[in-house]
Amino acid sequence: MNQELNRVRLGNEVYFTSIRDRKFKHNCISISLLTPLEKETVTVNALLPYLLRRGSKNCPDFTELEKSLCELYGASLSAEVGKTGERQILSCSIVGIDDRFALEGESISAGCARLLGEILLAPNITHGAFPEEDVRLERQNLIDTIQADINDKRAYTINQCRALMNEGHRLAIPKYGWADKAGEITPQAAARQYASLIDTARIEIIFVGCGSPEGARDEFARLFGSLDRHPQPFTPQPIVETAAAVKEKTVEMEFAQSKMALGFRTGHLASKGEVDAMKLMTFLYGGSPFSRLFVHVREEKSLCYYCAARFDQITGIMLVDIGVERDNQPQARAAILEQLDAVAKGEFTSEELESARLSYVNSLRSVPDSLSGLESWYLGQILRDASATPEEEAAAMGAVTREDVIAAAKKVTLDTVYFLASKGGEKEEAADE
Amino acid sequence: MNKEIVSSPALGEQFQRVEHPSGLTILLCPMEGYSTAYAMFAAKVGSIDTTFKTQHEEDFVEVPPGIAHFLEHKMFECEDGDAFAKYAKTGASANAFTSFDRTAYLFSCTGNFRESMEILLDFVSRPYFTPETVQKEQGIIGQEIRMYDDDPGWRSLFNLLQALYHVNPVRLDIAGTTDSIAEITDQLLYRCYHTFYSLGNMVLTVAGNFRPEDVLEAADKILKKGEDIRIQWRKAQEPREVAQSYVEQPLSVSTPLFQLGFKGTAGDSLQNLKRQIADEILLEILCGESSTLYRQLYDSGLINGTFEYEVLAGRDYLCCMYGGESRDPKKVRDAICGEVRRLMAEGIDPEAFRRCRKATYGRYIGMFSRVDSIASLMMLSHFSGLGNMYEILDWVKELTREELENRLREDMDPQYSALSIITPMA
Repeated sequence: MNQELNRVRLGNEVYFTSIRDRKFKHNCISISLLTPLEKETVTVNALLPYLLRRGSKNCPDFTELEKSLCELYGASLSAEVGKTGERQILSCSIVGIDDRFALEGESISAGCARLLGEILLAPNITHGAFPEEDVRLERQNLIDTIQADINDKRAYTINQCRALMNEGHRLAIPKYGWADKAGEITPQAAARQYASLIDTARIEIIFVGCGSPEGARDEFARLFGSLDRHPQPFTPQPIVETAAAVKEKTVEMEFAQSKMALGFRTGHLASKGEVDAMKLMTFLYGGSPFSRLFVHVREEKSLCYYCAARFDQITGIMLVDIGVERDNQPQARAAILEQLDAVAKGEFTSEELESARLSYVNSLRSVPDSLSGLESWYLGQILRDASATPEEEAAAMGAVTREDVIAAAKKVTLDTVYFLASKGGEKEEAADE
Repeated sequence: MNKEIVSSPALGEQFQRVEHPSGLTILLCPMEGYSTAYAMFAAKVGSIDTTFKTQHEEDFVEVPPGIAHFLEHKMFECEDGDAFAKYAKTGASANAFTSFDRTAYLFSCTGNFRESMEILLDFVSRPYFTPETVQKEQGIIGQEIRMYDDDPGWRSLFNLLQALYHVNPVRLDIAGTTDSIAEITDQLLYRCYHTFYSLGNMVLTVAGNFRPEDVLEAADKILKKGEDIRIQWRKAQEPREVAQSYVEQPLSVSTPLFQLGFKGTAGDSLQNLKRQIADEILLEILCGESSTLYRQLYDSGLINGTFEYEVLAGRDYLCCMYGGESRDPKKVRDAICGEVRRLMAEGIDPEAFRRCRKATYGRYIGMFSRVDSIASLMMLSHFSGLGNMYEILDWVKELTREELENRLREDMDPQYSALSIITPMA
């Protein structure tokens, strides 16, 4: 392995993980705040990364902040909101080129670490409030983002299917929260929630790049070392292992191509080996251009352009989605279930299994070739309290047998079918002013 | 076999250019420390190639829009089975894409490189089309087109291109329409294939973890020198003026989305690549995140984090675009066009010029650190007539404010602009 991996504790539930690989030309530092998804706080939490991104105490002016990033050779500073299982992830990250490419000998990496630290820990809060104007703008942007989920019909269908599967459960809480709640956020409430998060969230800092992580580590050790934090222990609810009955929902909308998502429960996975088998089964079923779904639903029946399956270990959910003509929906649904049934009956060749394994292993081995691949890999490991390298995961895939894959498919039960049905026929023509 | 090393003292890196006896140019960039090899076998043909002829034909042929993309789909089907099924045995991750002016077949792998390279060279060299397989694909691509019909970003881009251009085929949707692909036959596919997939019109680029001799041996084994095909394309008589200055389409979206485009003056492919890089800096100076105008628009709630800019340039087209969500896209257009006029009159601020050029330099360095972006950059520069892709870094470093002010006049004149809006359905 070419990567030097290191993990240190910088404070109470504050960790710094570094992956150094000299082949890169960049360094990336990300800070993720992990907090339970709660109805009361999810929306205001979602606003915070964007408020922080507006500027810090030291550099309160957004335009000046952007100019500093240009001076750091176009370093990119991003704010993001994500969720995984029952946790919301609020993150800020910075990516900049390595010092050796600076034309005038500037230290880009030190500048990046300092800037990110200021953004997260020295925000522009005065008298217990974020700037009124910043809150007004970012609140509206958050509302727009929440409402824009309808723009991407494929993602919308998947999200609606997940929400329906997890109705009444914490998992159903959307990562950005709700538009009406966003409208109520005040500059004071945002500042209070910021203080609470810095006090209680688990904080994961990840450095990936070609440079030395020591400067960044020392900077964050200094920043977090002085904080007296009070993180709260959090235990997610047990996952639902088996579907009781199939929930169905059809929603009509004016658009061209209908979309369907099928949500499945993946049963009781008692060991890492069973999880690995479920991953490989999902890949064989719908994870590649030679999977059952691609070959039999797309290529043989010409029903669609895409039809794919993915498995989320943290929630115990496998999801299949397809874009299909409205009239072909019953046929598509039957074909998707038929293929799962075929896998559960062992009606696949050893060649298919080996192809799925090879391809899956290939994707794992590609992870160390990009900063973003490594960053999300190790954050994913941390979230699952694991620490495997991609190579170790690849080796584990070698142990999955044909019987394991069949057993995995047998555990899968259909829980929910969400169908976003096209009301419209022909597409609207563009019109002049 | 003619071999040449092309290197960059600034990056301390190099790649190898091989003129293979088959007539194919092969560009190889082994990269230490990487696990993945990324290979692209590309033809200089895209959605804009709708009218062409070779030395064997008297007249230009007109083919249905979307045929290059259709051909790309159909190449995966071979007489002895599907190319994806062959890759399945090596573990490589394979794909292909068609853009306005090129079609690329690619794979990435962390093992069995030689086998995957042979699959790639073999299936792209052996077309196999029948009326039945063409008909089957019409169903699949029909669904791809329907999917894009719902994509507001895609629709607003193509509505804009149709507004900017009267006749240049860049205005056509890359996949065509359900009607146009219904006209495609196996015979038309063969004609396109034999015109554009001659090795002199193609390039093979590989970057990452591989041995150059594996590529060359595979090429020796599979590629045969064919006849030199001289392709003529009919240059569209595109007026300087735009076709329409405004276009809108309702879709089920939450807030309006827009694309504002400026029809630039296109030169040849190499000039357009150079102009594209300069214009990207220009767009950043004018309304990038560190500009005063961006701040004004953002603070007045007219744009949000979705705002972005891009330059689209190719064989005989070049346009500069801003886009994103906005409650009032016409106000955004007016503000940007106002700023263009101000810069035309007052000149570009030297400080903003220095700052944005520096940021662009850093971003271009980034393109040289990934196997996929290096393979793509080698292909792009080859098709644009640029022998040394590292020169792009020098272009950025050596760009002057005067050149940029010249580009502003040529490529961003508001009288040659158009606004495309996707409005929320009532």
